Amino acid sequence: MNKTGADGLSLVRPFIRAVERADSADGLQKATKNLAGAIAALAKADHQDESHCDPETWDVIDCLLQVLGFNNPGAAVAAVDGLIAIGPPAVEPLLGSLDERNYGARAWAVRALAGIGDVRGLDLLESALACDIGPSVRRAAARGLGQLRLEALPQIDQINVRQRCLDALLGGGGDGEWVVRYAVTVGLEQLLLGMGRAEPGHRSGLQALQELAGEPGDDTPVVRLRAGLALSRLAGGAGG
Amino acid sequence: MAGTADLDSAMATAGEPISEEEALQRLRQSEDQSHQYYAAWWLGRMRSRHPETVPLLQAALRRRQPRAVSSGVEENAVARNAARALGKLGDPQAIPDLLATLEDEDDGLREAAARALGELRAREAVSPICARLASDQAGQPLPNSLRLREPCEALIEALGDIGLVAPDVVDVIQPFAIHERPLIRSAAARALFQLTQDRRWGHNLIELLEHPQLQVRRSALMDLGAVGWRPALEPIRDTLAENSLKLIALRGLVERGQAPPDTETVLRAMDDLL
Repeated sequence: MNKTGADGLSLVRPFIRAVERADSADGLQKATKNLAGAIAALAKADHQDESHCDPETWDVIDCLLQVLGFNNPGAAVAAVDGLIAIGPPAVEPLLGSLDERNYGARAWAVRALAGIGDVRGLDLLESALACDIGPSVRRAAARGLGQLRLEALPQIDQINVRQRCLDALLGGGGDGEWVVRYAVTVGLEQLLLGMGRAEPGHRSGLQALQELAGEPGDDTPVVRLRAGLALSRLAGGAGG
Repeated sequence: MAGTADLDSAMATAGEPISEEEALQRLRQSEDQSHQYYAAWWLGRMRSRHPETVPLLQAALRRRQPRAVSSGVEENAVARNAARALGKLGDPQAIPDLLATLEDEDDGLREAAARALGELRAREAVSPICARLASDQAGQPLPNSLRLREPCEALIEALGDIGLVAPDVVDVIQPFAIHERPLIRSAAARALFQLTQDRRWGHNLIELLEHPQLQVRRSALMDLGAVGWRPALEPIRDTLAENSLKLIALRGLVERGQAPPDTETVLRAMDDLL
C-alpha cells in the first residue's frame, strides 16, 4: 500500500493526527471514522499486495489499536472497520496487542481478527471461545471461527482447520451466556456452508444445530430461532 | 433500565463457584453478612428450585433494619439481594413480603422491591406503587443528594412490566415522560408504550438513542428491548453504544416484537453485531 500522493505528501498522516488530537468522545469517533474511511479507500485503490506494507500503514495500525482501548464504542467500531480494511498486515499487531486487563478492548481486537479471517488467528480464537472471561470476547471468537478464509490453503489443511473450528464451536455450544451460544449458531452455519457434506464433522455440526433448535432446544428463544434459521439455510443450499 | 446487570456479571466472575447446599447454608447462618449477601445473589442467579430457598430469602428480607443516616446497614444490603433474587425466582409466595418492603424507609430497598414485584407481575403492587409515584415531590431530588425522593425509574418500570392497563395508571406515569432527567423519561416512555401500545412512546425512546450521554443511550436500548418495538431496528443498530447492549435490545425485538420487519431481518442485524 502506498499512502503517499502523487505530490509526495502523506495521505493518511493528517487523519492519524486528527485521531491523536481528538479531545471529546464524539470528536474521537468522527476522526477514527475518517481515518478508517481513508485507509479503506486506499486499500481498495491499491488492490493491495498483502505481503507488502509501508511504514505509514504501521502507524495507522498502531493508532487504530490504541483506539480499541479507549472505551468509546463508536470509535472502536470504526477502528475495527479500519483494521479489517487493512487486512492481513494487521494480524500480527492485533495478536501482539491483546490486553489482559481490558476485556472491552480484547473483544474489539478479536472482532477485528474475526473480520479479517486470517488463519493465523485460529489459536487465539479457539482459546478465546473456550476460556476468555468476557462474554463479548467469546462471542466475537465464535463468529470468527465460522469465517476463516482458507482458499489459499491446500485441501488437507483446509479440512484440518475446519475440524478444529468445529470442535471449538461444539464446545462453545455449552456456554452459559445466551449471546455466546447465539454466536456459535452463526459460526456453525457459516462453517458448514463452506464444508462438503461428506467431510468429517459435517454431521456433528448439523446435530449440534438441531439440538439448539429442536425440542426442547436452547433455553433462550432467540438462540432456538437462529439455529432453526441456520438449519433451513443449510437445507436450502442442498447442492453442496 | 435495571441497574443490576453490571453488578451481576461482576459477581459472577468474582465469586467462587459454590453448591446450592453451600449457598443455603451461607444464607441460614448470620455471623457473616457478606456470605449471606453472596448467597442471596447466587440463589437468584442460579434460579434455585430448592424448597428452602424462597422461605430463607423471605426471612432475609424481614431482617432489614431502620436505616440510620450515618451508618451503612449490612442487613439491608442482604435484604436488597434477597428482594432481587425473589424477583428472579418467580414464586408469588414472596409478594406480601415484597409489598411490605415497598413501604420501607430505605429507598434502595423500595427500589429492589419494586423491580421484583414487576418481575413477578404482581397486580397487588399497582396501587401502592401508584400512590408512591403520585405522592408529593416523588420526582424531586432528596436534599444534598442525586437520588430522587422515590426510586421513580424502578417504580415506573414495574408498572409497565405488571401491565395492568387502567386510565389512572397511565395518568400517574404520564407526567414523568417530561421529567428533567432523561433516564426517568426513558422509563416512562417504556411503561407507557407497554400499557398503551401508542407508537409515540416508541418514537420518544428512539430520540433518546441520540442523547449525548452514553448512559442514556444504554438505558433507551434496554427499554426498547423490553418493549420489543421492531421499527426501532435501525436506530438501535446505528446508535453509539456497546454491541452487547444492542444485541440484548435486538433479542427483545425478536422475542417480543411483531413484523415488520420480519424475524430474519432482525436476526441478520444481530449477526452483524457479534
